[in-house]
Amino acid sequence: MNSLITRRHFLKGTAMAVLGASWGFPQEKGANKKSRVILIRHRDVLDADSKINPDILQGMLDEAVMKLCETDSPGKAFQTLVHPGETVGIKTNVWSYLPTPAELEAAIKKRLIEAGVPETQIGLDDHNARTNPLFVKATSLINVRPLRTHYLAGISGCIKNYIMFAESQPAYHPDSCADLGSLFKLPIVQGKTRLNVLCALTPQFHGRGPHHFSRRYVWSYKGLIVGRDPVAVDTIGLRLIMAKRGEVLGPAQALPPVPKHIQLADTRHGIGTSDINAIELIKLGWDEDILV
Amino acid sequence: MRLVLKWADDWDRSWTEIMRETHGWIFSLCMLLIPLCFHDGGTVGDLGQLVPKKIGAWRALAEDAVYNRQTLYDYMDGGAEVYLAFDFQRVFARKYAGPGGLELGLDIYDMGSPEEAFGIFSCDRADPAAGIGQESEYGFGLLRFRQGRYFVTITSGSENEESGKAILEIGRIVAAVLGPPGPKPGLLALLPAKDLLSDRTSYFHGNISLNNRYFIASDNILGLDRTTDCAFAEYAPAPGGTGYLLLIRYPDAGRARAAYRSFLSSYLPEAGPDGLGRMENKKWAAASLQDTYLAIVFEAPTPDWAKEIRSSIPFPMK
Repeated sequence: MNSLITRRHFLKGTAMAVLGASWGFPQEKGANKKSRVILIRHRDVLDADSKINPDILQGMLDEAVMKLCETDSPGKAFQTLVHPGETVGIKTNVWSYLPTPAELEAAIKKRLIEAGVPETQIGLDDHNARTNPLFVKATSLINVRPLRTHYLAGISGCIKNYIMFAESQPAYHPDSCADLGSLFKLPIVQGKTRLNVLCALTPQFHGRGPHHFSRRYVWSYKGLIVGRDPVAVDTIGLRLIMAKRGEVLGPAQALPPVPKHIQLADTRHGIGTSDINAIELIKLGWDEDILV
Repeated sequence: MRLVLKWADDWDRSWTEIMRETHGWIFSLCMLLIPLCFHDGGTVGDLGQLVPKKIGAWRALAEDAVYNRQTLYDYMDGGAEVYLAFDFQRVFARKYAGPGGLELGLDIYDMGSPEEAFGIFSCDRADPAAGIGQESEYGFGLLRFRQGRYFVTITSGSENEESGKAILEIGRIVAAVLGPPGPKPGLLALLPAKDLLSDRTSYFHGNISLNNRYFIASDNILGLDRTTDCAFAEYAPAPGGTGYLLLIRYPDAGRARAAYRSFLSSYLPEAGPDGLGRMENKKWAAASLQDTYLAIVFEAPTPDWAKEIRSSIPFPMK
């Protein structure tokens, strides 16, 4: 399959969007089972100063994971993800301008402990995840980070969050970070990711400035995008970013630079699905200005 | 010089206050003398001495830092390639702390030449001019400007009136020590002037810069790299809308021909002998080759406009 994506593909997509069809990367292959992705939002999770209400956020995480795992309690849901007594690494993101909120890290950690994972066996790391003894020993990983655009990869989502597991990060930069999906095949990672949480409380939809961050391009979306499949989660994240860019920056800038790594994580590396037709998107909670 | 800098470090009052008072003439003299000490821009390491560590109520935090092409990744947690796509040499970084726990970040990038400084400045413009340095813009707590071979940014994490005022004050002081102005890239002189939105023109070399400015394709179908020079210009053709011209200069005619063929096959396969094709949004694209130059028109409202702008490019005679 030719993976070249041009502006013209999206010009066609624009026409489809006008007609009410969806964005994404429809593919010809058949899908036996759809990848379930939960999008949950709550109007009051952030106050007027963007301060997080931790109880509401905990509730959002719980509801999303229960729906994802088809259970009736958060405890049961997390017990389907991890085993009592195992070592779990929470791969977070500490980018100073838009880090994973501490409240979200705490909410995940709380449920892991309740599921029987000893607190001393829970690692929480970003830059040192590759060498952190808890991550080296971990048998399960939870992948959590904020959603934002990236000047090279198009978006920084759950796939890109694992770049800290690479010995050389620049080695993954060529061709617009095309092969980020291969990170999920590294021995320290392969087969261990139990949950992906893309934090869309305040996503960044456009990058400017010396460090590619400006508050003007961050908005209070008040959502979480949750799934087992990092590619499907990022596909929904990309759709959200594109919708917001189209709304604010105009159709000509709807597309962030080159989000090819998401599609290639599916078609080249086979770690999940980017086929919008093979993703079961379940929307929960507040739906005003939901965009996707 | 040290006395001048010590005076600046001891300075507890705001810039405007100082200028109003009798010591204003001393400061003016300082501003005249500093460029003489730094007439060629020096190195960014020198800036640690030349830029005051205390400006009004703002004081430099911790140690200054300098990063080069090899260490830029240590500084940029995301964004290094944007600079590495140009002839970036090194960056001087300093943080200032001010009232109420506010912080400002000052970055002075030595881009190797005025043309490269124009390039990095030109690829990310969105705000009104601030009247600082050769060209500048300020908005939402971000000041960007160029002066000579330097590109400068000053940012605040949380914008308010006080930090905004300080950003502009620090910007003026920094601009004064960066030496003389420098020229824009010569390639820009080939852009047809009619309907040109000159403050939207960008200059760059690589595919990453093009795709951040105007996404064309996920692969590098134009064969861009640090040896290619590109001008991306916006036009406002009557009666409305925006048209774009991408003008690329390759090191040799062979690479220009290869890029032309690649573009037609990947992006414009339906183009006729005139290099014109109609897009899905009813607008037109056109490509043409002239020796080492490749010109591509995007979003043309009519085929005639595409042809007109293409024929208006004053290519140099061989």
